[in-house]
Amino acid sequence: MKDLKKDIKIEVNDLSLYYGEKKALNEISMVIPKNKVTALIGPSGCGKSTFLRCINRMNDLIPDVKITGSMLVEGVDIYDKNVDVVNIRKKIGMVFQKSNPFPKSIYENVAYGPKINGIKIKTELDEIVETSLRQAAIWDEVKDRLGDSAMGLSGGQQQRLCIARTLAVSPDIILMDEPASALDPISTSKIEELVHELKEQYTIIIVTHNMQQAARTSDYTAFFYLGQLIEIGKTNTIFTKPEQKQTEDYITGRFG
Amino acid sequence: MATHFEIELDNLKNVIQKIGVLAENQVGESVKALLSEPVGEGKEVKKNEEKIDKLDVKIDVICQTIFALQQPVASDLRFIMSAMQISNEIERIGDLAISIIKRAKNIKDKHDLIVKFNIADIARMVEVIMVKTNECFLTRDESTIGEIFILNNTVQNKSDDAIHDIINEMKSHSKTVVSGTNLVIVLKHLERVSEHCTNIAEYVHFMINAKIIKHEKFDGKKSEK
Repeated sequence: MKDLKKDIKIEVNDLSLYYGEKKALNEISMVIPKNKVTALIGPSGCGKSTFLRCINRMNDLIPDVKITGSMLVEGVDIYDKNVDVVNIRKKIGMVFQKSNPFPKSIYENVAYGPKINGIKIKTELDEIVETSLRQAAIWDEVKDRLGDSAMGLSGGQQQRLCIARTLAVSPDIILMDEPASALDPISTSKIEELVHELKEQYTIIIVTHNMQQAARTSDYTAFFYLGQLIEIGKTNTIFTKPEQKQTEDYITGRFG
Repeated sequence: MATHFEIELDNLKNVIQKIGVLAENQVGESVKALLSEPVGEGKEVKKNEEKIDKLDVKIDVICQTIFALQQPVASDLRFIMSAMQISNEIERIGDLAISIIKRAKNIKDKHDLIVKFNIADIARMVEVIMVKTNECFLTRDESTIGEIFILNNTVQNKSDDAIHDIINEMKSHSKTVVSGTNLVIVLKHLERVSEHCTNIAEYVHFMINAKIIKHEKFDGKKSEK
């Protein structure tokens, strides 16, 4: 990752996280490159989702959490006391394992974020909604029923709608926490293909317990174990000649 | 719109097509060198040999990446498995073509010998087999597989006859021993090129039918198995 100096989106330095007395993340240092997909893999409980939530400060919402170290997004430490955390969460969107559309129409789901950010003109909102739904590869399936409830969509469609909702507020970074684990294979394949397309414009970090998904979708892969970052590198390298034996043992299924 | 995996598979197919065309050209040059006067120092031939070697390595790297990152199954798996083998066979064909060119330069009075032992027929047939092999990979046409096996059989038989005659010639005219030996080696090289082509045809058969037919005895009906 040493060749990435000018293409770094996020720089993490000695980041540790404590749930009370329990140290869940242990001095993580890594860089996440711009406009690439970085996958976080590791066995259950290794800290990958905890780390993901550090990036958009979602762990702030958990009582008794303490974070040390720094996380710089394009040079700015997001944990600095002067930073607006709402703005961070606008710029760093998140898609969750279980899709969570609002109990509103398809249109309103996507328009909600821009409206809250002050966009009121209908034509502007229409354009944002269409662009976001197109980028999320769901426009053709819903363009004739934007007024229908989002709850009537299938699981895979709901997840793509949630991605469209994230895109509508023009983030720079998209975090995905096991976005396809609740979906059927066809929907999973659509989400994976969408991730490939989105990285042209966004930096994407994806947590997945499915190693094969990490291999298929990501440019870089970081392997976590017991709260530590064991290895990070180009996905091709991680899955063909990892440096650490622990990484090799995990990806070959010998443990985890 | 093609997925990124389909684009990778297309890319692999294109690289194999490229290496196949290069090998076809090398075989053409080797037949030219055998049947005509040697032309030039063969700089183009040398350059093509290096290109073939580089593409062979590139194909291995692409296949390794696809295996590791895409976990191909079914026809995609068969294609990637075959791609590595086919590349290996083509690389050997390239090497044999170079050897033929080198040997051809050392055959004295080769025109007389070539006419006497019907070498031109065999050489041109091997050229045709090479062209058909490339076609077979691109089109996945099963009838071409059968044609390749039949032509290979003919090459082997004609080559056996020619070698038999050359050996008799060498026994009765000691001056022909050096040229005769080189010509026998060239004929064996041509046979090997033809055999590599049938190996490629077997891999294409495997790609289409998911059946491994290598090491099976061929009775002219292999493509029907």
